[in-house]
Amino acid sequence: MAALDLRAELDALLLQLLGDLEELEGKRAVLNARVEEGWLSLAKARYAMGTKSVGPLQYASHMEPQVCLQASEAQEGLQKFKVVRSGVHAPEEVGPREAALRRRKGPTKTPEPQSSEAPRDPLNWFGILVPHSLRQAQASFWDGLQLAADIASLQNRIDWGRSQLRGLQEKLKQLEPGAA
Amino acid sequence: MLEGAELYFNVDHGYLEGLVRGCKASLLTQQDYINLVQCETLEDLKIHLQTTDYGNFLANQTNPLTVSKIDTEMRKRLCGEFEYFRNHSLEPLSTFLTYMTCSYMIDNVILLMNGALQKKSVKEILGKCHPLGRFTEMEAVNIAETPSDLFNAILIETPLAPFFQDCMSENALDELNIELLRNKLYKSYLEAFYKFCKNHGDVTADVMCPILEFEADRRAFIITLNSFGTELSKEDRETLYPTFGKLYPEGLRLLAQAEDFDQMKNVADHYGVYKPLFEAVGGSGGKTLEDVFYEREVQMNVLAFNRQFHYGVFYAYVKLKEQEMRNIVWIAECISQRHRTKINSYIPIL
Repeated sequence: MAALDLRAELDALLLQLLGDLEELEGKRAVLNARVEEGWLSLAKARYAMGTKSVGPLQYASHMEPQVCLQASEAQEGLQKFKVVRSGVHAPEEVGPREAALRRRKGPTKTPEPQSSEAPRDPLNWFGILVPHSLRQAQASFWDGLQLAADIASLQNRIDWGRSQLRGLQEKLKQLEPGAA
Repeated sequence: MLEGAELYFNVDHGYLEGLVRGCKASLLTQQDYINLVQCETLEDLKIHLQTTDYGNFLANQTNPLTVSKIDTEMRKRLCGEFEYFRNHSLEPLSTFLTYMTCSYMIDNVILLMNGALQKKSVKEILGKCHPLGRFTEMEAVNIAETPSDLFNAILIETPLAPFFQDCMSENALDELNIELLRNKLYKSYLEAFYKFCKNHGDVTADVMCPILEFEADRRAFIITLNSFGTELSKEDRETLYPTFGKLYPEGLRLLAQAEDFDQMKNVADHYGVYKPLFEAVGGSGGKTLEDVFYEREVQMNVLAFNRQFHYGVFYAYVKLKEQEMRNIVWIAECISQRHRTKINSYIPIL
């Protein structure tokens, strides 16, 4: 009887593994499509704005990440990854804060709180009036980021599933040395 | 101005007009584009370009060939031709050619200031500046803190000086202000160029004024389109529109109030020239507004060559050459990204 239960468990695990693999293939295809779309939209933005206006000249060599990866432990020591916006830990503010891009009239008399500014949208590296294709590129890459975290979690789950499968097969061999 | 340009034009400018018409004849044809589109790698593209008038312009490039290098070399080649025209020109053609370079100078100034914001080294940026817009005070641009600084210390000797009237302020140069500065400088430049052509009169005014009016209207539409969803207020937006062109003044007032693409389309529907352009946006080819405007610009520039004895041929040639460079860069990008579905979205010229 124990063998039958074990076999049922093995089948269920195998089914789940195959389902996960299919999901992984699907997500990988979508990630590739998004990244390709993003790069093509960047090329379209270069067509509209000029080749040298969308390139390495526009970003600083040192930059603060806008997005961080958060690893969390689910059941049975399985790691899940999630993409999270940094700067969620806002400093204690008393009064209303000004948006980072307000046009300051006249010389600034009061020193602005320099502790930590709200992270600036990288879209503004290329100017304020950017063409639609640049915004589309940003959206594609952002989708790709989310997908990348999902894919990492899925791959973890698949590896864990495979090790579970191997463990169960070993147990089955021990229970039924002739039948396995 | 003396009427009868055909009697006096060739004395001073006949040689250069002949030269620029010869250059125009060497623009890439539809067959050349078909060959380029079939290339599999950038090296293939280089080999195909060698059979055209471009010749061995990429011969000195080290491997690997990138799209950026192709673009830089093409720009250098155009700059060489333009410098030849400028060095051999007499007044008033030399002033006209100087006006043409001002737009590139404005781009270079903004590139340098943005680079200063991002703490890039001046040498790095100077390498990427447009060669047509080179001026001697370029290295000093990045030390300016405010537009008045920029004007008084650096740009007062350059041809850009007269365009600074609306832009003088003590505001610090951050991203929003640099964008406003760029658009205001460009607006003043376009208005000054338009006045110059109009005062010159004759065939040059007949040819150049509609082209410049279209440029002003195009800028108004594109600024409006790109400002949806940004911090730019409607009043600020209205100050960036050039004050001439078909849209001036009623259309510009309506455009300043527009809040999305459909409202903008309604404004364009009042004008017989722009209604069909807006209708061509979207559709099956997925054309953007910038694409339809580039197509119209190419049409107008090709028509400029149908008349003789005017300076518009020089302007039209440089703009057509720029469109050709955009086409080649687009094809090169599609090839290098191996994404060939949109490779035929270039605009054929001849």
